[in-house]
Amino acid sequence: MMEFDLENPLTNFNDFCPGTTIPSPFLVESHHMPTGNYVNTLKARELDISVRRRAISLISQLSYKFSPFLSYLAVNYLDRFLSIQGIPQPKTWVLRLLAISCVSLAAKMKKTEFSLAHFQGDGGFIFDAQTIERMEYLILGALKWRMRSITPFSFISFFISFFKPKDPPLRQALKARAVEIIFKSQADVKLLEFKPSIITASALLSASHELFPLQFPCFRKAISSCSYVNKENMLECYDLMQDIAKEGYESIFNMVSISNTPVNVLDQHFSSSESETTHGIVTTATTIALRTEGDIKRRKVNDYRKNQTVHLSQVQHC
Amino acid sequence: MDKYEKLEKVGEGTYGKVYKAKDKASGQLVALKKTRLEMDEEGVPPTALREVSLLQMLSQSLYVVRLLCVEHVDTNKNGGSKANLYLVFEYLDTDLKKFIDSHRKGPNPRPLPPSLIQSFLFQLCKGVAHCHSHGVLHRDLKPQNLLLDKEKGILKIADLGLGRAFTVPLKSYTHEIVTLWYRAPEVLLGSTHYSTAVDMWSVGCIFAEMVRRQALFPGDSEFQQLLHIFRLLGTPTEKQWPGVTALRDWHVYPQWEPQSLARVVPSLSSDGVDLLSKMLKYDPAERISAKAAMDHPYFDSLDKSQF
Repeated sequence: MMEFDLENPLTNFNDFCPGTTIPSPFLVESHHMPTGNYVNTLKARELDISVRRRAISLISQLSYKFSPFLSYLAVNYLDRFLSIQGIPQPKTWVLRLLAISCVSLAAKMKKTEFSLAHFQGDGGFIFDAQTIERMEYLILGALKWRMRSITPFSFISFFISFFKPKDPPLRQALKARAVEIIFKSQADVKLLEFKPSIITASALLSASHELFPLQFPCFRKAISSCSYVNKENMLECYDLMQDIAKEGYESIFNMVSISNTPVNVLDQHFSSSESETTHGIVTTATTIALRTEGDIKRRKVNDYRKNQTVHLSQVQHC
Repeated sequence: MDKYEKLEKVGEGTYGKVYKAKDKASGQLVALKKTRLEMDEEGVPPTALREVSLLQMLSQSLYVVRLLCVEHVDTNKNGGSKANLYLVFEYLDTDLKKFIDSHRKGPNPRPLPPSLIQSFLFQLCKGVAHCHSHGVLHRDLKPQNLLLDKEKGILKIADLGLGRAFTVPLKSYTHEIVTLWYRAPEVLLGSTHYSTAVDMWSVGCIFAEMVRRQALFPGDSEFQQLLHIFRLLGTPTEKQWPGVTALRDWHVYPQWEPQSLARVVPSLSSDGVDLLSKMLKYDPAERISAKAAMDHPYFDSLDKSQF
């Protein structure tokens, strides 16, 4: 059985004639997003945002030696799981178990060689295979075994076909930059509510705006007129993404600094030319991050919802 | 699994027992497919994970039986632990085999209405095209594996192949005979690199069976199965099917001339015979694909918008 490829989640665009049937990735993409109130819950509570950040940061630490796509998939599982089960108690062992299980599931889906033993030790917690397995089944149940996620990567070739210049090097450059923007955007809570296809369209537009400003108006017009795309939605997403594409390093380094992950861990996601420019920003970003974390700590005591504590305790006896 | 009340064993699928059961809370009937998991030191077995999630994705098609949920059951007995995965599918009370049988024997034998054959075949092609576009071969299409919703006139593909995730015996789970009737000649001849065309051969055999109300090639051994095929379609030649004589299990066979296909499906329209002949091409590369079949003139008189 083949490995799962995020760009090609086995849903074939070519099988559908435009206009007659909606290509299936557009039909099912919302099954692969966090549900309902997740974004609002996160936005409303700084604490929840920090729990998510810590979990994402753990996932990055655990998966940096694999491909960034694997990380992306694991975070997709995390968000979908949290949106169904609720934000857990911000206990380190809970988050660590959750992160290990998401990475393990993503690695298995991507047929990546790994051993659970690799995930042990450095965090100070050791989980046996059975505990991780129980957590994996809990996640699978919550996600209804829909593990072949439709992600923004699934839509790249579809939307790139709207780009006028056909030269492969230009399209390659556009795609590469859009992929970077998509990776960066995942950590940002503001973008969580947008469908994967909208994220893709916006990321490609941002990339085009940066790299091929002359082609941009035409590209935007073409994508906006695609009937599967909600134009207002996309433009809203595009505006938010512009900020992330420019200053997005902040939110990523934010997340990194909280868990004290070495910065170079995340550099892997960027091209070398970029990491040069980012080093200047690191210091400022870290200061911002530390300040935020201080705020969170102050609020922690009063702010925690007790009714959410049960969810992860299920792990032990399900 | 307390959520379900097992009603009866309805079958022995290739991968384990199948039970008809009732969801206690909703009263909904379901088919429970019990599969034993290999034990794994690394948590959820990766192959099971990939295959069940693939099944989950495929079952989003109306023409594939829907996977409702998956239940993982761990039992610890006498120190040894056993893990089972229950795949919970929607329950349909009849299949194409029973349906054809009811038209052949019983109180009121009669042919299947041509428009129904056309509709079932189209849905079958649509389901097969869906699986193939996802890179999945069924490998064991047969009337028993095609479930019917008689009221709505819907046909759904079931028993999609789960490969190595589950401890699969080479033959059947029990001593039931694995049917060869729908098996493509390249498989019978020991070809190791087979493709989507193997499913289209089966679709052709099923098509003919709906028209005839009896199997087209009812062989009882691999050798007999080949002879059944050769007697009707002629013994294949290198010219017709380049490479056939180099296949692993190729022998020297009696030389038969091709017979008229229309004679074995006398009630089928000429468009239907043409489509059937394209599904039963010897050379797998020449055999019609499911997607191309859906555009064949045989379906011109079908209102495709309903599917």
